[in-house]
This record gives sequence, C-alpha cells and structure tokens, in this order.
Amino acid sequence: MCGIVGYIGRRDATPVLIQGLKRLEYRGYDSFGIATVGSAIEVYKKNGRISDGEAGVVGLRGCTGIGHTRWATHGEPSDLNAHPHTDCSGRIAVVHNGVIENYGELKRQLAGRGHTFRSETDTEVIAHLIEEHYDGDLLAAVNATLPLLRGSYAVLAIAEDTPQIVAARDASPLVLGVGDAEIFAASDMTPLLEYTERVIFLEDGDVADLAPGRYTVYHGGQTVERPIELINWCVEDTRKGGFAHYMLKEIYEQPQSFYETIRAGIDEHVRQMVMEADEITLVACGTSYHTALAFKYLAEPLCNIPVRVEMGSEFKYFTPPLRGLAIAVSQSGETADTIAALKMAKARNCPTLAITNMQGSTVTRVADETLLMRAGPEIGVAATKSYTAQLAALMEIVNLRCEGAFDDVLSHAHLAIGDVLLQDINEAVALCSKAEHVFFVGRGAFYPVSMEGALKMKEISYVHAEGYAAGELKHGPFALLTPETPVVAVCTPGPTYGVMASNIKEMKARKAPVIALGVAGDTELAEIVDIFIPIPNTHLLVQVLTASVVLQLLAYHTACALQRDVDKPRNLAKSVTVE
Amino acid sequence: MQAVILAAGEGSRLRPLTRSKPKAMLPVANRPIIEYVIDALLENGIRDIVVVVGYRKEEVVRHLNRLDAPIQVVVQERQLGTADALRAAEPEITEDFLVLPGDNYINAESIARIKEERNAMLVAEHPNPSNFGVVVIRNGIVREIVEKPEDAPTFTVSTGVYSFTPDIFSYLQTNEIPDAIAAMIASGRRIRAIPADDWQDAVYPWDLLKMNSRMLRGITPGIAGAVDASVIRRGAVRIGTGTTVGPNTVICGPVTIGNNCTIGPNTVIMPDTSIGDGVVLEPFTYVADSLVMSDVTIGSHSRIVSAVFGQGCILADHTTTYPSTTLLEVGDRIQKEEFGAVLGEGVRAAPFTTFKNCIAGNSVTVGEGKTVIGILEDGTRVM
Repeated sequence: MCGIVGYIGRRDATPVLIQGLKRLEYRGYDSFGIATVGSAIEVYKKNGRISDGEAGVVGLRGCTGIGHTRWATHGEPSDLNAHPHTDCSGRIAVVHNGVIENYGELKRQLAGRGHTFRSETDTEVIAHLIEEHYDGDLLAAVNATLPLLRGSYAVLAIAEDTPQIVAARDASPLVLGVGDAEIFAASDMTPLLEYTERVIFLEDGDVADLAPGRYTVYHGGQTVERPIELINWCVEDTRKGGFAHYMLKEIYEQPQSFYETIRAGIDEHVRQMVMEADEITLVACGTSYHTALAFKYLAEPLCNIPVRVEMGSEFKYFTPPLRGLAIAVSQSGETADTIAALKMAKARNCPTLAITNMQGSTVTRVADETLLMRAGPEIGVAATKSYTAQLAALMEIVNLRCEGAFDDVLSHAHLAIGDVLLQDINEAVALCSKAEHVFFVGRGAFYPVSMEGALKMKEISYVHAEGYAAGELKHGPFALLTPETPVVAVCTPGPTYGVMASNIKEMKARKAPVIALGVAGDTELAEIVDIFIPIPNTHLLVQVLTASVVLQLLAYHTACALQRDVDKPRNLAKSVTVE
Repeated sequence: MQAVILAAGEGSRLRPLTRSKPKAMLPVANRPIIEYVIDALLENGIRDIVVVVGYRKEEVVRHLNRLDAPIQVVVQERQLGTADALRAAEPEITEDFLVLPGDNYINAESIARIKEERNAMLVAEHPNPSNFGVVVIRNGIVREIVEKPEDAPTFTVSTGVYSFTPDIFSYLQTNEIPDAIAAMIASGRRIRAIPADDWQDAVYPWDLLKMNSRMLRGITPGIAGAVDASVIRRGAVRIGTGTTVGPNTVICGPVTIGNNCTIGPNTVIMPDTSIGDGVVLEPFTYVADSLVMSDVTIGSHSRIVSAVFGQGCILADHTTTYPSTTLLEVGDRIQKEEFGAVLGEGVRAAPFTTFKNCIAGNSVTVGEGKTVIGILEDGTRVM
C-alpha cells in the first residue's frame, strides 16, 4: 500500500509532489509528508489526508524532493510515523512503500550502535542504515544498505549535499517518468501523466540514480537499459471533472470501458493458451474474486470446462493440487496475495495468464501472458469500471471457448449498461440507507453479483451487508430477517426463476422488505416485491453486467445519502500490496 | 469576458432522441451541438466558460472532461427554466458575460458581433417564429419579447444568446430569461438587438436533418480507417479510425463516418449523411440525407433516406424509410413535415420493415414486413 513520489528537475518540487500525492491518495491516506533538498533537507509531515493538510505545506524550498502518502502497517497513523523518515543528523531522508520484515532485528542493532529512533515504523531503519554507509556517495550507501533488507520495498532516498535521488525497488512497484531535463518517480504512472508520457517500469532489484535530465539504472551493480514506454492514458481520465465523486464518474464510464475491452480482443498467444486449457484455475482477491466467481458460473455451463476459483490470500498457505491454466485477476497488478499465488502456480508448471488494468505492473512480469483490460485509471477505492472491464475480459474468454457464439451479445452489451445507468433507484436507496443490515441474494451467476453488491454496500456506505446464494438464506440467516432488514434479490428468467420467486415469497412471509432486480415487463415479480428495479431483458451475460451496475448505483447513492466519504472509505486502500 | 452555456434542459420536443442525453449532447455531423458553441467561444478568445448542466448531467460532464478547454460545470438541480439555470451559475460570475444556449448552433462571427456589447441580444429571422421568442425591435433596441405566440408580429426571433452585465441577477425574478429582459426594459434599460450571422436550432427531431446538412459543410475531410482501393469517394468525406469500408462502396460527400464502423462492401452513402461510431452498414444498402447515431446496425438491401436513427438501433435487411408527409401531433401542435423516419434508441426492426413519416419511440420492436406510419410510444411492439 502507500504511495511514493519523487521529483528532480528545475521546477519547485513542492507543488509537483503535493499534486502527485493527491493522485496517489487512493493507495493510502492515513498521513502524508514530503521532504525537499535545497540548502538543507526540509521535511513536512502530517497525520491526516493530503487534501485537508495541503494548506500547511509552505516554505519548503528546493527543486529535488520526495513525498509519501501512507496506509499504516507498522505503527499507528501519526505525525511522527508519517514518512519521510530521516537519519539521526537529518541529512538523509527516505520514503518507502512495502514492508521490511527484519526491521526489528535491524532496529536493535542500530540502536545498540547509538542511533536514535523517533518512529515505530519499519522504514526508519533504512534511513539509519544509509547513514551508516554514507560518506558523500548516496548511491554507494543505498547499494550497501539494500542487501541487509528483507521484505518488499520501493524506496526513494535523498541526501543533503547532493542534487540526486536514489530509487530502488524490490517487490513493490516503482515507475520513472522521463521529462525534459526532469525526472519523476512514483508508485504508479497516474502522477506522471500530467508531465510526461514517457515512462520506465523498473524491474525487481533495480537501483536508479536520478539527476536533473539524467538517469542511470543499475541491476546487480551493472548498468542496464530499461525501455522507455509510451503511455496512452490521458490526464483527464484521472480528474474528477464535474462529478461529485470519482466513483460516480467511473460508474458512468462503464459502457466505454466494457466496449474498449471487448474491442481490444484477445491476442494470438493468449488465444492459444485458453483454447488448450482443459481446466482453469483463477486466483483473485476482493472484487476480482467476485468477477472470477462469476466467470466460473458462466464458463462451466456455457463452455463445459471445469473452473476453480481460489482466494489469493488462502492459496499461498493451502495450495490445492493444480492443473491446467492459472489466471490471476487483479486491477492494479500489484496485489501481493494474488501475485504470490500466481508464482506458486508457475512453479508447478502451469501456464499462467494475468488479467490486469496496469500495463507493466508486477503481475504482468510474473505471468506468461497478459490480457490487458482497458478500463483506464481507476481512482475511486471501490472498484467499479475495473469490475466490468474484468468481466469483459473474462466473458471474452467464455466467448472464445464457445467459438464466438456471443460475439453479437458482447458487442452490444455496452448499450444495455448505458441503459441501466438511467434507472431511477431512489426508493431502494431510501430503504437501504435506513437499514442496519442488508442481504443480497441471487442464484447461479447472480450469486457472485450479489456478493459484489454486498461488498460495495459494506465498503462505501458502512451498512452491514451480506451476499448469499438465495437457497442458503434458509440455513441460518433467515433468523436475522425482520421488517427492518431489506433483502435485495436478483431474479431473472431462466432455470432458477421459479425457485427464486418462491424464495422471495418466503422472505416476504418473514415480513422482510424485498427489493428485486428483474427483467423489464416482469409484472408477476413486480407484484410480489416491495420495490422492483427493471433491467433490460437480454442475454444472461448482459444481465450479469446490468444487475451489477444497478447494485453499484445502489451502494453509491446509499453512501451519499448517509454522507460517507465515497472515494476514500475508512481503513481501506485501493491495491493491497501487503499480504 | 465570461460565458455561460445553458445545457441543463432536456429538449422534450426532440423526444425520443433525448432519452439518455440532453439536447445539447445530440450529435450533429458526429459532434454534440454544445461543442460547436464552445468552439465559437474559443475562436473569440473567450476561455472562461461555465456550463450549466442538469438533465442527464453525467453524459454532459463526461464529454466536457474530454475537451481541451478548462470548463467550469455547475448543476441546476431542477429544470425550472433558463433564468433559474442562470442563477445556478451566479457564484461563478465576476464580470460581463455572455449567455448561450448549449443546444443551438451559433458561429464565431455572431459572437464577435455581440461580445463587445453590454446588455444586448442576438436575433435572427426564422420562417416559423411561433416556436421561439418573437422580438419586436425599434431602432435597433428591443421593445418587447413575445414568447411562442400563435400569431407572430414579425419573423425576428431571439436566438437565446445574450450579453449581460452581472447586475442582471437582480432582474431574475421568475424562471425565464425573457421575463428578466422585460423587467429590464420596463426599468428603462436599453437592450440592443444585433442580427446573428449564422444560427441554427433544432426544435423537432426532423430539424436535426437540416442542422446536420448545414454542419456537414464545415467538416474537415480525412481518412483514418481502412478504405478499400475500389471505393469511390467524391466531395468532403471524413472517416474515423478503426473503420473499414469494403470494396465497391460509393461515398458522395459531404459525409462523415465515425470510428470503428463496418461499411459495405457494395454500399452507397449519399450527401448530407453522418454516421456515428460502431455502425454496421451491411452490403447493398443505400443511405442518403440521414443522421445515424452510434452502434446502429442497418441490414443489407436497405434504403435509408431522410432519417434520424438513435443509438443502438438494429434494423434487419430490406429496411426502407420512405419520406412522405402526414399530420403528426408533436408537443401539442399538429405538424406537417416531410421526412422518412425518426427512431429512438434501441429500436429493432425485423426484415422488410418500411418506416413512412414515422417517429418510433425508444426500444420499439417491429415485426416482419410491416409498414409503420406516424407516432409510436416508447416500448411499443408492432406485431
């Protein structure tokens, strides 16, 4: 988690860093800080969000600087624990994203040698270790320090007497942006888009020496050439425009991101890999886990292939026997659990495929092949457009295995998504915003849709919500149904329609208010439920999408009605890069 | 100089086309109307632009975000009228400003004429003045504005483009700007009437065809897609990226075709036609004088003349639109106008359908071999 940013060039560093940190805020927002090198190192750090504390940052001078926005792992969020951290003399400052696993041991040793520690973080040991080795050559000092560290890191370090930033990464993301006579460094490319479109994705173990207009990348002591890649994302996509929240903007971008992902298609290598598979295992976490589960419910009946879905966080410790194609699904491509799981699949000689939104992210280097989804930058912490883009990529795979049977369905699906965005759901929002608990139920492919609906509701509105397979509700949760507990049920025509309808009647008999998503024109269903939300009567694949979008809107508007901070829900960060 | 563009209204007389987007966002020659207005302002060096959004605001905001100009967006929560929309923009106004409707075309020259004035309005001559505010002028000064009269005293109408000083806000008592103008005249303020150079409004859906052919005169020709060597092109033709045009297709400009379309082989596209993104024209189809929005599929052996198709219509083979005139009741008035068809979003037609002077609502479905005339409500099924 955490986001880091660095700048060296001719501009005043402070505004560049502040702007960059705002773009990275989705990676964590407990506290933030920046340090610049002018005549000396000046540090400003503060507990709280950068958008609130921005005004306090004044008087920092220098055209070289580093910044950090934090998602606390070691030590609670406070002014002291905020990065950047300095050594004893205040001549060296570092920011760090990742976890140093052996920091306890290092800290004891350093303390024994007389170093004074001011924070509870793991990062501070890096500053003191660099101090130990520093004799005017920052690069050498960092090089001497890195072998002592165990864990994951992306580090930026500056020292008082040199106009230079040393960057290093191992298992945490770090991207360099190359401008005219200026160099940027950041956890991902969103802060860079404003200044340059030329970026370099560093590899694990790389150390980069940055100076104004000049950079050198070392790997294992040798100079290496890393290719400059051009990014076609546009900076407008990272701005909120006139929308109240990023999440709302991203919800409304879904027809486009779905369409773009479908249109991009599948390249030949991936195609071959998918066609050859006789079994598919997907590993994913959070929202991506739900899309993977939806894929299972779609692919197994439609293309008759066994599909297994594993949670990334469980997989590493309880690895099941593996066969066939392994697919990792991750929006950021940096989810630590998913990557660890993918590595294990690779170690067992499975062909591996990554489905991600981030070109050049860690997961794309681990996997044999990558299927890039075209969602564009997603800033809202709650996944919305990346969810539909993931579904688009996975539905493409279903379509491929069915030899293009759903070409027409998929190429028109974005219209149906656009259609449900116009749906009025105020009544349902009014009901949910008054509730303490909400149940989401569905059968078949709508079970993961319900789980995703519940997750969205929990994470942004803080209303307790549970997603269940509709039949499972009777095995326990029925005890919780009261007239104050709304149930959101997805009930569309198909083999499960009849049994789903009787489930709904059972819930009604317990006096629970029922909000049903059914196809437009289903008057029978509309009569038995309290609130009926119609979705277009189309193919199952499209219904999965449209139902999900309605549930996103429900969660969003409920959160707004409860005045929650939609884009930055408490305790969360967008990509979970720690295990 | 600031400018306020009013883009909050639905444009209900343009239904069914305004289901998912406000009138200002309807594409004409493949660009939303509001873009022409913004262009005209930028050409005059007016960069401080405030857009008032309301109806389907997400659509407008998303589009504005993609433009180069830094545009301020304010929201009118309820669509009560133009003056109310202007009040929503009040906090952003610090100096003399222009007010423009976002859903009418206006050219840069017209804006150049009014931008130096304080308290003025642009007026134009229109053959059907009763759809507009009719302006009575004496010696270049506005005497009176009569809103949508049955019998118009003159053919001079208000274009909705005004130049105001910030003290206009004290006159905004009711919800419409013309009332404020009347109040200003009553209090002895002089409002100058300045003739516009070029101005176009689409009141009814078929008016879009006229506007479309006017806007197509201004397109920049350019070919970005894959066009077969045997394709015959005449006049100004613009083809977007990712579009493929199959062999033996004939395109007579002015014609604009969006991105990612599949055209032909063996199709004919005649002048005054705009085709949006992701459109499929199957072989042996003829399209002339029409506005086809995005994601429409038109089957083979179709003849499409003088038609407006909303987003996502799927028309099977042998579809015909047949221009003719019947009496249509639109917006409480009986109208008589020659056009082929106006289809809302997501209309589906089976093979051998004929549309004859027809306005079909959103998601209308037509069964095989029918001839459809007149107005169909949203969701109608013709079996």
